[in-house]
Amino acid sequence: MLSPNPIAGRPSPDPSGQEDAMILFNQVDKWYGDYHALTNVCAEVKKGEVVVVCGPSGSGKSTLIRTVNRLEEIKSGQLLFDGHDIHAPMSSMALNKLRSRIGFVFQSFNLFPHLSVLENIMLSPMRVLGVRRTDAKAKAQQLLERVGLSSKAGAYPAQLSGGQQQRVAIARALAMEPPAMLFDEPTSALDPEMVGEVLSVMRSLADEGMTMMCVTHEMNFAREVADRVWFMDAGQILEEAEPETFFTSPQHPRAQRFLSDLRAH
Amino acid sequence: MFGVFDILRDNWLLLLVGQYPSGPLGGISATLILSVLGIVLAFPLSVLLALARLSPWRALRWPATVLVYVVRGVPLLMVILWVYFLVPMLIGREVSGFTTMLCTLVIYEGAYLSEVVRAGIQALPKGQIEAARALGHSHLGTMWFVVLPQALYNMLPSMLSQFISTIKETTLGYVINVQELTFAANQINNQLLTKPFQVFFILAMTYYVVCFSLTQLALWLERRIAHKRLGAKAIPLTDGEAPPAPTVAAPL
Repeated sequence: MLSPNPIAGRPSPDPSGQEDAMILFNQVDKWYGDYHALTNVCAEVKKGEVVVVCGPSGSGKSTLIRTVNRLEEIKSGQLLFDGHDIHAPMSSMALNKLRSRIGFVFQSFNLFPHLSVLENIMLSPMRVLGVRRTDAKAKAQQLLERVGLSSKAGAYPAQLSGGQQQRVAIARALAMEPPAMLFDEPTSALDPEMVGEVLSVMRSLADEGMTMMCVTHEMNFAREVADRVWFMDAGQILEEAEPETFFTSPQHPRAQRFLSDLRAH
Repeated sequence: MFGVFDILRDNWLLLLVGQYPSGPLGGISATLILSVLGIVLAFPLSVLLALARLSPWRALRWPATVLVYVVRGVPLLMVILWVYFLVPMLIGREVSGFTTMLCTLVIYEGAYLSEVVRAGIQALPKGQIEAARALGHSHLGTMWFVVLPQALYNMLPSMLSQFISTIKETTLGYVINVQELTFAANQINNQLLTKPFQVFFILAMTYYVVCFSLTQLALWLERRIAHKRLGAKAIPLTDGEAPPAPTVAAPL
């Protein structure tokens, strides 16, 4: 995989030189009414890189990741995904097309309960990308095998455990063949014994070189899989570091407090 | 029983089909046909109205909202009279009472059902729409493939209730001489002259039996759907030690 970027400084405001950036935040600001949800966020996820976003509750992690496929609008700044300005004024068709290339996994799975597991995975390739049914089905079966759920193809989401549902949700996102995957607290709604199965699927994705941005509280995952860790608080990225550095010698006092609180458990 | 059974014995055919085959179909057959056609034709209209009211485009949202508000704010009898006098003027020829009543019911029930559909759509978890949009589905694609199949299924009991109201509302067709059940009962009453209580008792009981059976069906449907929904929600929340028996999760 990629060698981590040794330069901890902010990316240059000129995006033209960012050939190897998959996701680039450039002075992104977001407000909810009077509340400043994201403050001047400048950061980048390089192609092939795994970034874990961590921080206390309400620090803006989920908001940040949801701005990447424009589930949240931003007030100012620029956000490039694979070179495309996501928040530029554009037709809804253009936005749909961009979104179809950004894999997104939700905390609450959000599988479609009226469709079987296989149909959940086939729907969007067929209806958004225009893939033929037979091809979509073959692809869906292959993806189910990859997440270890071949036997559940005909089941409905209500019949699956949380961990199984989340693995199907990952397969559903992968079916669109996105160049990058975003995970918004993918294991937070799971029982402890189901966290492992989802993390291992994510780990294998990372091993295959998928570009990933994960909001998660799983610090072991961050330590073992991430190339970089972003620490957020109060809508700002306070620290960006390689996991080893971040976990052993965090620089920002807020990050030090966060990590010592975690260890106290 | 005060002659109720005698009246039934002598007039059951009139109550059942009106003067058919020597005259137009009437009686309870006409009532049911009118109600079924009314709700079946009102249904697509209501989905379109609901989609228009929830659409991001103002040009669709406003006219649909105005139509729904106007129809809901006016008594049904008023709509009947408007259709009765306006439709012949608009199309330049006479229209049968049956057609008039059908048009009225489609407009009226369409407006009411559209509120049911809108509520059904808005009751779905927001995550469903977000997931579909994140996968690149358009607004309409999201509605068509993800939202409506779930919302309409959840709404089946409400739609059945609306159907029951429609049956009761067809009685108002009486004022424009639609030959339905109430019309038939009144014919019988005019013949007998001395037994209004018995005749209208029969009429009331007939409506009651039909509507009560349908209400029971609606209740049963509601329980069934609630049970299934519970099954769908219980799993992420509970400990998952005993995966619930696979219920028949039939998609719509």
